[in-house]
Amino acid sequence: MQEFGEHRGHPKLKDLVVEASRSLARLDAGRLEELALSCQALNRDLARCDLACGDGKARAALAFEAREAVQDMAVFARVLEATRANLNVMNRLRELRGGRLEYSEGQMQRWVRTENGHGDN
Amino acid sequence: MGTISSALSLMSGALDADQSALSIVANNVANASTAGYTEETANFQENDPVTINGISYGQGITETGATSTRDKVLTERLDQQQQLASASSTRLTALQSVQGLFTVDSDSSTSSTAGDIGSDLTGFFDSFSTLESAPSNNSDREDVLSTAKTLASDISGAATSLNSQKASLDQEAAGVTSQVNALTTSIAQLNQQIMSTSPDADAGTLEDQREEDVSQLSQLVGINQITTENNGLAITTTSGALLVSEGASYQITNGTVDGVTHFFVGSTDTTSGLTTGGGELGGYLTARDVDIPSVLSSLDQLAYSVSTQVNALNNTGTDLDGNTGTTASPLDIFSEPTEVAGSAAAMSVVMTDPSEIAAAASGEGTGDSTNTTAMANLANQTIVNGQTPTNYYSSFVSTLGATVSEVQTENTAQEASVTQLQTQNDALSSVSLDDEASTMTTFERCYQAASQVFTTINTIMASALNLGDETTVS
Repeated sequence: MQEFGEHRGHPKLKDLVVEASRSLARLDAGRLEELALSCQALNRDLARCDLACGDGKARAALAFEAREAVQDMAVFARVLEATRANLNVMNRLRELRGGRLEYSEGQMQRWVRTENGHGDN
Repeated sequence: MGTISSALSLMSGALDADQSALSIVANNVANASTAGYTEETANFQENDPVTINGISYGQGITETGATSTRDKVLTERLDQQQQLASASSTRLTALQSVQGLFTVDSDSSTSSTAGDIGSDLTGFFDSFSTLESAPSNNSDREDVLSTAKTLASDISGAATSLNSQKASLDQEAAGVTSQVNALTTSIAQLNQQIMSTSPDADAGTLEDQREEDVSQLSQLVGINQITTENNGLAITTTSGALLVSEGASYQITNGTVDGVTHFFVGSTDTTSGLTTGGGELGGYLTARDVDIPSVLSSLDQLAYSVSTQVNALNNTGTDLDGNTGTTASPLDIFSEPTEVAGSAAAMSVVMTDPSEIAAAASGEGTGDSTNTTAMANLANQTIVNGQTPTNYYSSFVSTLGATVSEVQTENTAQEASVTQLQTQNDALSSVSLDDEASTMTTFERCYQAASQVFTTINTIMASALNLGDETTVS
């Protein structure tokens, strides 16, 4: 069985970040959850590799990748920020609609009419 | 009441109501592909019961019409995001075009319209270094004029291209206002129809058309929407100029101020408000009035400083014929600019005789190269806004690149936000099998998963770049 971080190559950070931005824009929850798991696995791999190898080569390569991904990470951060703003709007709307259903004047009048005039009472 | 005939009457009423509801469903299906169509749902109202001898008898239901499943707050948020995305997209296209002028293709011998001004500057000052060793050599003197011409031509070429782009953006912006006026007229007409036919309820197709027009308007110009009495709609620009008030529309007119098109609503100049407001128009105006003038100003400063400093030094030395520059007969290499503004477009080489290059210091013989050395040294002196000419140019190009990159980031995020809102809006108001609740859940799952991805990658990156602890997240 293949050991984590030993021979397995990992996806480039830049590609991961670009894919995450795209998936978030498309609201592809399944893909994002896969990516979250991949990132956790990658993180574990890197931690083990760091402990086992301890050489500067892997760290330098990772630093290079990180620098390559900086711009895309900025994009991802902005998309995430926009998503949070959109989600806030959606939640407020849901609360507004919920409130309207429960307490609106029209609904109250309908309840009163229904209860007063129901033929089965 | 309570007879077979009343039961049949109830059933007949129910069937009529179902029939009406079915035609609404049929209408939804028929319009499934119609742009901007909003799904309608049937409204049923309970008929008032009849009371006989103290007992109430139900009278069944009646179908009272259809209501479109729309959410104005969500639609408005979508319109706002579209305004921003549209503005940044238009601005980005213009900026990329500007950046293209200063980008040199390293893989081929071809260069951009502006050539490679950085190399031109180096070549020009290096030609003085070459002349130092043989100040009377005619070939070296010709080389100085030749490199000066290349530099002047590339700087003035870039300025001319920038001015052309500015003029083209000016035309595009003016073109947008005619589309804006057509849409505001249409919205005002729809307002009138909606207010007269459906003052208290959703106006269905008419409201779809109005939403579609408002959505298109949002892509063109930054607007605010205000719902008025009787289901009317008022629209202002983001800076507050009234474009539509119920049944009336107010046109944006164009006029020329200082050679550029300005935009008026009534007699008020709204150009500055429209620039920051968003939409295509905002993007065009930001590129025309902010980005290009800033690039031109940097280029003007470079041309002005190089021309005046080089001319000043050449006028203090002695040329091959023993002459020194005077006010009446200056020994200028470049055309002498009178002010910074416009220096780049006007930059040219006025010296035609290479012997007029004042290589020697004042009063020295033709073998002296003191003044040539001084001119070569200008390359390393902070003569352009506190920087050397090449450093100033590099910094200008990298600032432009950073602006393009920033607008690109902004645009990608805004486009993503528009996509998300459209998905949500489609789930709510289009004929779709998805229901709103499940889309909300998806939205929340996406946000949580994406936050996790972001946090993990951020930790990995911080660790890789030694910005934080080297330990990773488990």
